[in-house]
Amino acid sequence: MACVVAIPLSAPAEAAESTASNQSVNGASANFAPGDPKGEWRRQAGDFANTRYSILEQIDAGNAARLKIAWTFSDGADYGHEGAPLVVGSTMYLVAPFPNVAYALDLSKPGAPIIWSYAPNPSPLAIGKACCDAVIRGWAYAEGKLIYNLLDDHTIALDARTGKEIWRTKMGNVENGETMTMPPFVIGRKVFVGNSGGELGKLGWLAALDVDSGREIWRAYSAGPDSLVKIGSDFKPFYSWMQGTDLGVSTWPVDMWKTAGGAAWGWISYDPQLNLLYYGTANPGPRVPTQRPGLNLWTSAMFARDPDTGAAKWAYSFTPHDQWDYDGVNENVLIDLPINGRQRQVLVQFNRNAYAYTIDRKTGEVLVAAPFAYQNWSSGFDLKNALPIVRPEMQPQPNVKLSHVCPPDIGGKDWQPAAFSPKTGLLYAGIFNICMDVTDHPQSYIPGTPYDGMEMTRHAAPGDHWGEFMAWDAARGKKVWAIEEKFMTMSGALATAGNVVFYGTVDGWFRAVDARNGKVLWSQKLGSGVIGAPMTYLGPDGRQYVAIYAGVGGAAMVSKSMKGFPARGNTLYVFSIDGLSPSSGAGMLTAEAGNPTAQGDAHQTGTR
Amino acid sequence: MKEETTPLVGWFASVVKVLLVPGMTLLASCTPQGDTARPGTKPPSAFLTVPAASPLGEMAGAAQYDASLEISNPFARDSRAVVEGRRLFVAMNCAGCHGYDAGGAMGPNLTDTAWRYGGTPGGIFQSIHSGRPQGMPAWGLALPAQDIWKIVAYLQTLGATLAPADYHAGLQGDHDVTSVAPQPRQLLETYAAAHVDAKP
Repeated sequence: MACVVAIPLSAPAEAAESTASNQSVNGASANFAPGDPKGEWRRQAGDFANTRYSILEQIDAGNAARLKIAWTFSDGADYGHEGAPLVVGSTMYLVAPFPNVAYALDLSKPGAPIIWSYAPNPSPLAIGKACCDAVIRGWAYAEGKLIYNLLDDHTIALDARTGKEIWRTKMGNVENGETMTMPPFVIGRKVFVGNSGGELGKLGWLAALDVDSGREIWRAYSAGPDSLVKIGSDFKPFYSWMQGTDLGVSTWPVDMWKTAGGAAWGWISYDPQLNLLYYGTANPGPRVPTQRPGLNLWTSAMFARDPDTGAAKWAYSFTPHDQWDYDGVNENVLIDLPINGRQRQVLVQFNRNAYAYTIDRKTGEVLVAAPFAYQNWSSGFDLKNALPIVRPEMQPQPNVKLSHVCPPDIGGKDWQPAAFSPKTGLLYAGIFNICMDVTDHPQSYIPGTPYDGMEMTRHAAPGDHWGEFMAWDAARGKKVWAIEEKFMTMSGALATAGNVVFYGTVDGWFRAVDARNGKVLWSQKLGSGVIGAPMTYLGPDGRQYVAIYAGVGGAAMVSKSMKGFPARGNTLYVFSIDGLSPSSGAGMLTAEAGNPTAQGDAHQTGTR
Repeated sequence: MKEETTPLVGWFASVVKVLLVPGMTLLASCTPQGDTARPGTKPPSAFLTVPAASPLGEMAGAAQYDASLEISNPFARDSRAVVEGRRLFVAMNCAGCHGYDAGGAMGPNLTDTAWRYGGTPGGIFQSIHSGRPQGMPAWGLALPAQDIWKIVAYLQTLGATLAPADYHAGLQGDHDVTSVAPQPRQLLETYAAAHVDAKP
């Protein structure tokens, strides 16, 4: 059962404001560029800034309790469903996890028939190289193309009208342990993609491809000499401990940068005014810190880069020398808000290390760093140098079991993306309340195998619930309210102008919440757990719909032996007020024949 | 061990080599498991059920037959080999995929009765030696056959593998689930106590 925990704010007046009015508690706003047509959802996060905010308001706090299932769609793939549907015009675009079959559905017709589907047949070898389930985290639409990454390291573009493959670019070698799971991000005529495989010692990178041809324009690595990292004279990290030459080499033991990890498997955001793109890098390899003395730059960090050239403008390492696999890949939400009376252009990241960072996105200066989840690896935060104060006794030592380290590897929050509402000024995020017992095993680098070394069990942090859904004030670094959940809350969030926020749970509940006070307005049990992200769109019939995948998998599987953990699933659920849609109603409805589903080989759809 | 021949031929040759090394043969004959079936010593049961009038050919149920699957592990139940196998299981990063408890993570669970490729010592040897299509690396060039058998010996202690004689029963889904006792920790502690120098 969910229950709301009220978190006292610093002043009672603020609490009253946040629960009763429609006003932003902190004056926060955002740039919703590129301003896609109203009611469409053309990119995973809805906009460049990664707000996941929709201006649709047919569904509001007053009628959300009347939400009902309008129609569903199953794709038959049982790995974790971590993305969100895209809607362009009257077409919905979906891509299933491995073997990555794509679908275009016609929303204008009863039954939302398949316009086309396409099976790209990625190599099954990729299944066993993906660290954390053969997932896909999203796909992109641009210039009449559906663009996504195959698990076996190819980026492909399909003709959005016909489903015909236009180009396929090989980005890496899956045999050596590199995979791709992240959602491509498109700015103008460039597609940005990054790799997975940090757990297998693959050096991370972000690359820009030409949207028309798939040709690689630039690639920037997460470690190595400045030339590979694309660090030049205009690189200006805010803090002195990140200033110097070739730190991507010198902060590692000799040659270890070549297997440094720092994969870029998360989200990208973009500020069109500053012309900067933002993304994070994953854990260093191996995950055993005693094998790699040094700050291990630029892993567990983030970059601001010029999207045209790839040149790094600034960087910030959240957890230098990352001893716990905290990564830096979580989404960066770009918002503007006053801090200490001064208007700031910031990005907000809820890092796996359990700190929420509010960072000046022009300079990389950390303005606020405050824990949003239970943690015991640090005793505080040195804001002057923007460094966490590490508790030495919480650092794993080889072959010694260290108990109750919080958060664990998968963090106080993993990659599941937050949302922002300009109406409340708050961010909304599914978070974790968990810890680990960990034993480090020193590793040898063997290509194509894990370069990992962390033996772990996870358990609940104090409070016994594994998850929460929370509202966060990024100006003050304060949790405003939180809803406790039995399982890790591994769902993305969606905020809407109707003051309704949506999220799902690992045990398969989909909820609508009042953005202002955390009151749960509506819940619906689905066929599997939710680890994807909700989205909303205006159908061709003028109705507002909300869609969410039920398809548990990914890192949520760490709780698979808990009571109530659901079976895997592969169904998209679409909701409307009273369940009304052309796909539901009295009498005998029929679908205009669409195309059959493209079939990958049957052996590729298993989950083992 | 460098193989001049093609991997599969080389693999089979290495299996035969292991079985023919004098000390190894002795070891194999001393195993308490009693699963000493060898290629050629026993016809697969499917052949026995074929009516005499039927033309002999590939028949349903025997399609996956491979003599190697019925080979027993020369190191089965050799406690020192089991400890060494566990060490290799961690050192070669097997644990990184299959879990430190072999209970499955990136790779399949090795402590349950679900086996894609037979689950006999010979089948597991083959999986480790030659790799498998969904990402299992091939170790035949990197590890001597004896080391692969030691890893197999460790996995056999987890209680879910099939005796060579049960290969066809396994294909038919006839696993004796009651015999599965995945208690790797206790077993390892027992073995480690006997061989403190090889503590996992």
